[in-house]
Amino acid sequence: MSEIKEIPPTQLMIFGIIAGLVGIYLTYLLPLAVGRNGGGIALALKTIAPAFGALGAICAVIWGADAVRRVAKYGLGTGVPSIGQIALGMGIIAAMFGLAITKTMPIAGPVLAVVTASIIGFVIGWFAQHVIKMKIPVMIRCMTEIAASGAIIIIGFSAAVAGNYDFVNNIIPRVFDTGVILFIFWVGAVAMLHPFNACLGPDERQKRMLYLAGSTGASTMAIVGLAAIMTLGASGVFTMLLGIVLWLIFYKKFWDEVYNDASSVVGTGLIPKTEA
Amino acid sequence: MVAIDPTILTDIILIGLSGTLICLAVHFIPVGGAPAAMAQATGIGTGTVELAAGSGLVGLITSSYMYAYEPNASMLLVMAAGALGASMMLASTMLAGGLIYAYGVAVPFASAQVKKDPITGERQDIYVSKGTQGQGIPTICYVSGVVGSGLGGAGGGLIYYVLMQYYTPFFSTSAAAIAGVFTMGVFYVNSVIPSYGVGGTIEGVHDPKFRRVVPKDVFTSIIVSMLCGIVAILIAGGMTP
Repeated sequence: MSEIKEIPPTQLMIFGIIAGLVGIYLTYLLPLAVGRNGGGIALALKTIAPAFGALGAICAVIWGADAVRRVAKYGLGTGVPSIGQIALGMGIIAAMFGLAITKTMPIAGPVLAVVTASIIGFVIGWFAQHVIKMKIPVMIRCMTEIAASGAIIIIGFSAAVAGNYDFVNNIIPRVFDTGVILFIFWVGAVAMLHPFNACLGPDERQKRMLYLAGSTGASTMAIVGLAAIMTLGASGVFTMLLGIVLWLIFYKKFWDEVYNDASSVVGTGLIPKTEA
Repeated sequence: MVAIDPTILTDIILIGLSGTLICLAVHFIPVGGAPAAMAQATGIGTGTVELAAGSGLVGLITSSYMYAYEPNASMLLVMAAGALGASMMLASTMLAGGLIYAYGVAVPFASAQVKKDPITGERQDIYVSKGTQGQGIPTICYVSGVVGSGLGGAGGGLIYYVLMQYYTPFFSTSAAAIAGVFTMGVFYVNSVIPSYGVGGTIEGVHDPKFRRVVPKDVFTSIIVSMLCGIVAILIAGGMTP
């Protein structure tokens, strides 16, 4: 597989962090930027703002799925799902902490959540490597990455349902009290762990897996949009429709990749007869 | 932010302890993974995380019910409610699984790790099919699983109880949701860590693996849970106006 060019992990990491955070911040800053004037465009921008949170979360899903791929390639002994669940477990702790503690300065919330998640991920990765002795060289780095992407996934999808990432005024009444958080936790984890779990094997390729990651992220966005109809109305409709469109696009891409890879399997002929 | 006062320190240690209980619980539960699903290893045919988290979350529901309807419930009562719920969940899972193994797959229940069942004293090794790691859920695994899930449920109840003390003043009606979700996060972290330690499968308390991996897993878990405890208490600190 070495001749196939892969996207380097650092590039995906930068993409996940930057695009994820930009998406999350747009849910907060876009309504502020157009806040005063109440024209048609301003109203439209306000309506579509929460969808950016979900778009950011999709970028984090793609990044997280690649991190899962790198660490799970070594064989964890417990199956790929376990790492998706620990990712969102760490992510939710860090996300709640980051958003809750910056009540007076909400702009720092998501960044603090990502930093906290990285610290928790680093500690768990270090212990897994040096105390439990898992002997996986990329363990520490990947654990840090999946924790950080888990935090972005949680905040991004929560912001899409809550309108923005204000913990006390928006996320608690709209995401926690309604129970949508459990859905985000579980489906977010599946969106991240499923792509590699489904693609793993000797013929696994990064490109195909990344398209599948985009498709699981987008289908999560579509269902998050459905939840957002309940809390936000029109914004939810936009999120859901955009999610469905993205899902169809990514799934078609994944479908094409599957066909492409399947057609490149070369026949090796029959097993040679060995009788002398 | 907040000066370290003894109450906060105790609570952090309590959260660390409850994480450790959850971690310990995973080692007690007979997890067979994919081989057990094909009746080629002893235990329940699914992963560590699914079993620990599944029973733990039922324990969380029962303990939160206790907390919600008995406002003066003591910590032990909440923990006991959690233990009861989790044990019932796992016991019924193992009972249903056992019925399928016995009457559907038709395998004799036998452990490959011990020669005689420590509880019933029955010979095990003659019933183990060739090329397998035992089959089904023998008595010792069943008892070990019920005890283990009880520990996990008690651990979940303990975190919930501690967090509710902190969150109720700030979030009033939403406190249960926040404490519950946080407990769930800690639960997943603490059930995945030991599953890496045991490497996917363990038969229960009688498995030689148990003694080998418990110390390092518990050490990891106590540190990580205390870190989570500090974070959890800082959330309440951040809410103080």
